[in-house]
Amino acid sequence: MIAFLQACANGLLTGALYALIGMGLALIFGVQRIVNFAHGAFLMVGMYATFLLFDKLNINPYYGFMAAGVLLFTFGYLLYWVLIKPVQNKSPFMQILMTTGIALILTDGAQLIFGADYHQTNIELINRTLRYGPFSLNAASLLSFGIAGVLIVALTMFVRRNLTGQALRAIAQNPEVAPLMGINVLRIQGLSFALGTGLAGLAGGLLLPALYLFPGVGEDYTTKAFVIVVLGGMGSIEGAALGGLLLGVAESLTSLYVGNQWALVVDFALFLLVLSFKPSGIFGRQRA
Amino acid sequence: MKGLRSWQLWAVLGIAAACASVPLYVRNDYLLQVLFRIALFSALGLAWNLVGGYAGQLSLGHVAFFGVGAYGLAIFTDLGVPRWISMLLAAGAATLLAAIIGRIVFRLRGPYFTLATIAAGEVLRLMATNLKITGGAIGLTTPALFSGQLFWKWFYLAAIGLALITLIINYRVSRSRFGYYLMAIREDEETARAVGIDSLRCKLQSLLLSAFLTALAGALYGSAFQFIIPDSVLALDTSVQIAIITMLGGAGTLLGPVIGAVVLLSASELFKNQFKESHLLIYGILIVAVVLFMPEGIVGALQHLFRRRTKPPDVAAGIAPGGRDLSGSGTPRRS
Repeated sequence: MIAFLQACANGLLTGALYALIGMGLALIFGVQRIVNFAHGAFLMVGMYATFLLFDKLNINPYYGFMAAGVLLFTFGYLLYWVLIKPVQNKSPFMQILMTTGIALILTDGAQLIFGADYHQTNIELINRTLRYGPFSLNAASLLSFGIAGVLIVALTMFVRRNLTGQALRAIAQNPEVAPLMGINVLRIQGLSFALGTGLAGLAGGLLLPALYLFPGVGEDYTTKAFVIVVLGGMGSIEGAALGGLLLGVAESLTSLYVGNQWALVVDFALFLLVLSFKPSGIFGRQRA
Repeated sequence: MKGLRSWQLWAVLGIAAACASVPLYVRNDYLLQVLFRIALFSALGLAWNLVGGYAGQLSLGHVAFFGVGAYGLAIFTDLGVPRWISMLLAAGAATLLAAIIGRIVFRLRGPYFTLATIAAGEVLRLMATNLKITGGAIGLTTPALFSGQLFWKWFYLAAIGLALITLIINYRVSRSRFGYYLMAIREDEETARAVGIDSLRCKLQSLLLSAFLTALAGALYGSAFQFIIPDSVLALDTSVQIAIITMLGGAGTLLGPVIGAVVLLSASELFKNQFKESHLLIYGILIVAVVLFMPEGIVGALQHLFRRRTKPPDVAAGIAPGGRDLSGSGTPRRS
């Protein structure tokens, strides 16, 4: 029982970061239907940015992640206008090709610049564990969890309350009527793409201390992000947050009971099951 | 390419004969190895074309069949089956796998289909990494289908043969009722079903055929490089590479995959010295350029150019011949 609860707790800690990644993709794929196969690559860029700040300027990743977020936001905004907008209204086929191309350029570009070596971010926080009775939690993961939690709440508030956030949801619900309501669709879509990549950057920065960094580090996260969005229900940003937490716990429990190496298989199994039996997502409402 | 006149057939045969005679004057192993990969990826692109080109289903899971071909060859031979029969058995196993995977993934559309095919391929890679029979991350040694000093020559010839067979199958399919069904599904699946085409069955059949051919190529590849690991024959990158080769050349055209393979593989080989491990960078740049500037691929773009110069536009076109219009309709379809 203790092992079970411990695994759940660990799963939630990872899950919060998954939620952040998933919400980023939800803004891009769920809301705008841009099939973004480069999400993991954006995450990787965020990780490298945070790592460089740490390595060269000795800036703690828990400050550096914000810079990564800003960088990826700007990058995403430019990328939208140059490469994404031309394929926005084309078939998923073309969007997948375009974003796969971007992912290849980013990943192999990173490899060209930084080499294929693995890097580790040594901060003292990573070796500290907090104990409470029989349970123990890694301090760094807990901090990431806290920051991710704040960001998730902030984003949810933004989407619900803020006028721009509401415009964003309006476009998600009906892209034909939204412009009639005086919404500048292109501007909002550019913004929401940039927000999505910015979130990937933030999540990358927060993930950095827990992972070994190498150019291909983001690849698994692209598929994970899609699993999360599908779990949460297309078009729902809050759903993606829940989907992320759920995936974190599911992976953690699989590691405990079946074996570490099968955790990734669970991602895909969940994905295929949800798509086959409840395509609107576990937390999604059926839409006409 | 639809109206393949007899002179064109002779031209293809002539080119094939020219390709087959290459080992007569090329004796450099490195060059033969590069040519082997170009021929092999032509075959892979052509096999993928059946599903991704004619039926318009963007599969990024073809590496699953490729991997089963390679692993199947190693495992069946290990069990005492003669090599060439193992190769066929492996292709049979891949076809069986395609029947199972197809039933799941073909119920999904658009990006979900693509994601599900990725998931299928990745599950296989993870299984191969973790199971004992596949040798885990260390992998397996594969039996040599050809040996001796001139083995690259024979592998190259086998790959050319496979590419030619796959090309002929593509040609037959593109002119058959079955092929028209596939193209109808690609253009508009709802309408195709409405006129009585069993779309699930047609898509499944195209996948079975494609999987069989892909597995043969996988077995050749595995055997040529003598040992296989999950990251070499079951990597997502290979699926992407196969799809991109076909899209670059022109999906749904006969010569597109071949042209794509020649262009992409020679480009990546040329840039390999500059970029070393990062040779996929050139793929990325080419894909982005193709999507922006010639969404119908090289062959599609050439056909446009050619058609515009020679004859007035064909107004009463039913299913657009040749190059597929990948740009999609102006209005996004929403689910």
